[in-house]
Amino acid sequence: MELGGRGNLPALISFIMKKWFFFLPFILGLMACGQDNTDTENLFPELPSYFPDPVYPVDKFPVTQAGFDLGKKLFNDPILSVDQSIACSNCHVKAVAFVDPQHALSLGVNERHGIRNAPSIANMAFMKEFMWDGGVVHLDFVPPNAIENELEMDEKLAHVVAKLNRSSVYPAMFKNVFSGIDTITAPLMLKALSQYQLMLVSKASKYDKVRQGKDQFSADESKGYEIFKSKCAACHSEPLFTNQGYFNNGLDVVFPDLGRARITEDLGDLGKFKVPSLRNVALTAPYMHDARFKSLMEVLNHYSDGVKDSPTLAAPLKSGSQLGIALTLAEKQSLIAFLGTLTDHELISDPRF
Amino acid sequence: MKTLIKLFTLISIITFFSCGDDDTSTTTGSMEVEFDNIAIVNGIEQQLSLVTAGSTSYGYTNSLGQKFNINLLRYYISAIELETTDGKVYKDVLEVSATGSKGYYLIDEANPASQVVELDNIPAGKYSKITFTVGVDSTGVLNGATGGALDPATSKMFWNWNSGYIALKFEGQSDASNGGVSGAETVTTTNPNGIAYHIGGWKNIAGTAFVYNNKRISFNFDTDAVVDAKSAPHVHMTFDVMGLFNGHHKVDFTGNHNVHKPSDGVDMAHNMEEAFNFDHIHQ
Repeated sequence: MELGGRGNLPALISFIMKKWFFFLPFILGLMACGQDNTDTENLFPELPSYFPDPVYPVDKFPVTQAGFDLGKKLFNDPILSVDQSIACSNCHVKAVAFVDPQHALSLGVNERHGIRNAPSIANMAFMKEFMWDGGVVHLDFVPPNAIENELEMDEKLAHVVAKLNRSSVYPAMFKNVFSGIDTITAPLMLKALSQYQLMLVSKASKYDKVRQGKDQFSADESKGYEIFKSKCAACHSEPLFTNQGYFNNGLDVVFPDLGRARITEDLGDLGKFKVPSLRNVALTAPYMHDARFKSLMEVLNHYSDGVKDSPTLAAPLKSGSQLGIALTLAEKQSLIAFLGTLTDHELISDPRF
Repeated sequence: MKTLIKLFTLISIITFFSCGDDDTSTTTGSMEVEFDNIAIVNGIEQQLSLVTAGSTSYGYTNSLGQKFNINLLRYYISAIELETTDGKVYKDVLEVSATGSKGYYLIDEANPASQVVELDNIPAGKYSKITFTVGVDSTGVLNGATGGALDPATSKMFWNWNSGYIALKFEGQSDASNGGVSGAETVTTTNPNGIAYHIGGWKNIAGTAFVYNNKRISFNFDTDAVVDAKSAPHVHMTFDVMGLFNGHHKVDFTGNHNVHKPSDGVDMAHNMEEAFNFDHIHQ
């Protein structure tokens, strides 16, 4: 009896019907295992070959359409703030790679000002620690810092959860994402917000297209890339353009914001801040944790001529008595041309976000 | 046909056992561990009484003669281990997910039910030692948002700015305090006499300055706790709140009334460790 080949289905069925008792034990045994063999939906994008694996366990927590939609709705909903006035998207605006284009320091409820500049939240999936001081160790734990900070949303997680449970739309959306739940809880809300943020992957800039052989740098961009590799890449390492370390880049000699030392409680970390990614940097002005520089040229002028010495200054910014990074005006212009190739127009125009 | 039936049975059995189900041949039982919060005053054990925040009724006095009261006392117990007289160790399972957690217990003075920890599926045996962690170690933090006892909204024990759980939270009032506490749950910033001690810090990383304030504590029982299918012993532990202030390090409410970061909590974490005690067992 031949079982293979097209059109032989009736023969196969007939064979199984006749010998069903032979297959039954396997079926019974396997059913006892309760294994779920369905393919799990995961919207998390394919990554370029030179990208690292995400730090967030996207295999354990796959991004589903329903989870993403819920996270997106929460991200854009001022229900997260105490007076329904501020959403995540107020300070993380898509058009400028998810930073705040209007306010140097984040503007919270009742016109209160935060203490630091809102950083881009692209490529959070790849980050080990979050915030300028790295105090947050998991993406899920990022949103409560805005929600419960009295200078930002000034709300309490328990109260947000109560509002979501009273809403006419959220309970059904949560039940659709998290099967079997009775009520909305804070950890479920945080997992949903992560679903949205995980998808904000910046990987389609001109730089990426050049790396993939689909585009070419101009002569100036190319010159800038060479300068970048020799003078900037130690901290702003490719392909995320941050080594995720904490460094004092010579902004100050006294430190009203302790930076990393606030978390480590180690004076050796005074004035150190997390190296920000330079992806989309042309869009994310103003710069530095306190937003003191308005343009990329001001930033480069700081590195060439403005670096101040202190005990915690990053070693690459000091050689002997020479402070900073030697850069000519022409080199700065080339660097700025290169940095422009890190703008990801696909990300900021993606209708999904 | 007989051969086929035998084959059928054999394959069913083999396939079933290939699932790796637990071996259930060992007898198991359960145990209750109660954490009783007390105040030992002049050698006499008193049950705690909480007052509403803002109350100026002071029921307790520290060893420096400063009067105080208590609005809130809450702490985490986790990673409980029991050891038999012949050295076999039972470990309470630690599990975390967005919908719940296992093995983390939030003991809250305001919630009597929270003060009794139920341990199940303990292999039968004579247990003579208990070990537990006060606080939440890396497993409870590094897996992200977690439900159950670790839900940050309901526990109110999570530090957003420096991700991690407060091991022990105490809030109250003392006429010796200068007030102005920040970041407290019950005491307002405008309270002229508030005291708030949030003891935390879980990053136990060699070669760094991170402060680790969780404490791993062991106690030997005075009599063996016999666990089997019929008997479920009740282990009675105590936590003496006076020890938090009068222990190894004397806490002066004038000047030291507001602890909200790991380095400020080191001395009190030491006191906290010594304020736990094994009391007795009901067999």
